[in-house]
Amino acid sequence: MKRVAYYKGCLASLSAKELDTSTQALAPRVGLELVELESVTCCGAGDIHEAEPDYYLHLNARILAYAEATGSDTLLTVCNVCTLNLRQANFMLKGDDTLRARINANLEAVGVPPYSGEVEVRHLLWEIAEGDGYELLKQAAHKGLKGLKVAPFYGCQILRPSKIMGFEDPDRPWSLERIIEACGGEAIDYPAKIKCCGFPIIQAREETAMGELIQPVEQAIEAGADVMVTPCPLCHLSLDAWQQKLEASTGKKFGLPILHLAQLVGVAAGIEESELKFKRHIVDPRPALERLEV
Amino acid sequence: MMQVALKIWRYDASTGDRALREYEVDAPEEATLLDVLDIVKDKVDGSLAYRKSCRMMICGSCGMRMDGAAVLACKTRMYDVAQSGHVPVISAMGNLPIVRDLVVDMDPFWEKFKAMKPYLQPGYERPDDGREYRVTQERMNAVKKEALCINCGCCVSECNAMESDPEFLGPQALAKGFRFVGDPRDGATVERLEQYSGEHGIWECTRCFFCNERCPKGVDPRDAIAKLGAEAVKNGIDRDMGAKHAKWFIRSTETTGWLRETELVPKTQGVVSSIKQMKFAMNLIKHNKAGLAFPPHVAANVGEARNLHKLVHEQGVLGAAGHIQGERALSKLEHGYHEGGDPYGPGSFPKPYLPEDTE
Ligand code: SF4
Ligand code: SF4
Ligand code: SF4
Ligand code: SF4
Ligand code: FES
Repeated sequence: MKRVAYYKGCLASLSAKELDTSTQALAPRVGLELVELESVTCCGAGDIHEAEPDYYLHLNARILAYAEATGSDTLLTVCNVCTLNLRQANFMLKGDDTLRARINANLEAVGVPPYSGEVEVRHLLWEIAEGDGYELLKQAAHKGLKGLKVAPFYGCQILRPSKIMGFEDPDRPWSLERIIEACGGEAIDYPAKIKCCGFPIIQAREETAMGELIQPVEQAIEAGADVMVTPCPLCHLSLDAWQQKLEASTGKKFGLPILHLAQLVGVAAGIEESELKFKRHIVDPRPALERLEV
Repeated sequence: MMQVALKIWRYDASTGDRALREYEVDAPEEATLLDVLDIVKDKVDGSLAYRKSCRMMICGSCGMRMDGAAVLACKTRMYDVAQSGHVPVISAMGNLPIVRDLVVDMDPFWEKFKAMKPYLQPGYERPDDGREYRVTQERMNAVKKEALCINCGCCVSECNAMESDPEFLGPQALAKGFRFVGDPRDGATVERLEQYSGEHGIWECTRCFFCNERCPKGVDPRDAIAKLGAEAVKNGIDRDMGAKHAKWFIRSTETTGWLRETELVPKTQGVVSSIKQMKFAMNLIKHNKAGLAFPPHVAANVGEARNLHKLVHEQGVLGAAGHIQGERALSKLEHGYHEGGDPYGPGSFPKPYLPEDTE
């Protein structure tokens, strides 16, 4: 078992609780022991990062400090945006002793342990796409997805900027495809899989966001997808919940079920419905899964 | 010498004819994509159209797409591609109308550029000693990255927000905007921030990070836009929904620690437009996507975050300075990914993303 500090982020703590329960259920089967962080806050998403960057850096340094305090050298994330925020802050703190000293002095002033810069931030996707995690995943996914056609949707902030993410080629990623195939599913290919779903501006500029959101949904359906999978709960929220608005504005019926990564693997691993919590989705994935007797 | 094969999307806007043609030429091993195009034009097909001038990554003329990704042709060496046996697809940049073959109409690009008022509007007095106005290197470093832009359009080519709304000012124009907002000699900071905060400005960026990934000069336009956002908020120019959204995030971290999502929609859009959102919202509530959480989920020791916020404001590293302080560390990183990670190997499944090939 690899012991990792587990950072849920806001969505898995609140509106996407199904992501948290399925991650918790899956973790031991892919060799991860999750140590929950109690005192951490939201990472601030792109919003605090943009508006108050110094506060963003402090908030994320605080999360990293509490992760380090667990004694683990890995902070596990389940959200693209958290991953980018935390990795970026981590590089800033690791790469500049003067900056780290100022932030640490502030952390200590409010009662947070200082951060040495030794933690690595990794998304669940990377833990199970290669190495030991991947080997265990292949064993765990014994029930298989039985030829389910799955559209991988990466979302932006697990791929770009590659100098911060650095896991795979941002134009030709492979991790989701590899996981889908290891679970016995069929990964379908379509151009928008690496593009943006529009989430960051879905409230402030809904129309522009919708022009982005429709691309993966339409293309995946056209390519024959039964379901779509994403490693990001924000992508999930826009793809799942705002799909009804796409249907209203285009007059088309999409009904494309969107699964969190941990849910997709969870189905293949035979994890109980009570942990996967599909009833919390707007587009119910159960009919698609039942049809294939997955 | 080496053999290089290319497929090029040929296009004639006057007739609308479009065709993918394959070419194979001999080129020196150090040849760039631009050199290869020159050889094709000289030896195979003189009608091929593309732009070039400096051949040394400084004029910004030769932006085009290779396998769907915008590059400077004169910066792109062909040796590795040729050796791998892969035949790349060359096409014109995206988000701009194609005139012929690899030549795009840059007029919409220059219009947005001009709209930024890309010149210094001096806001300083001549010093008492009668000498020239002097600025320290340190203060000019604030716009060091943005000043590197060569107006090539590679960022604009892939901008996801622009693809959906062509009116969006876009990465190049906004990065240019920060080049002047961040310039200590410029006197129009507030007017600029007001203007750039309009409907198609700062807050329409969808944070897809394609611009940072593609820029051949390390401008990182997305980061420049974040600097503009931070300056706008610092200067109280925060009426835009995007800015309000950001402020609500800050409030949430100080009170419950986690995003208070239920309240986010009303806070961002205001009550009137929220009533329109009611039907949509009710459906979310039904599925616990936006349930009213009572009591609200509160993180332990959230007072620490509140105190940090207070400290940050006391220390005054606000606005773009907060972004710039991280640049020294981030400049040590390079774009890329761990080699040998792709277990499938080049050319195998999953197929590369080649949008021009699939049309
Ligand atoms: S990115 Fe979002 S979901 Fe992840 S913690 Fe930050 S605000 Fe929350
Ligand atoms: S795809 Fe969507 S939610 Fe995901 S990272 Fe881009 S904007 Fe974010
Ligand atoms: S990050 Fe913003 S400006 Fe840059 S390409 Fe994406 S949407 Fe355009
Ligand atoms: S920001 Fe970079 S990619 Fe965009 S026009 Fe300038 S140099 Fe080219
Ligand atoms: S020819 Fe000038 S930048 Fe390529």
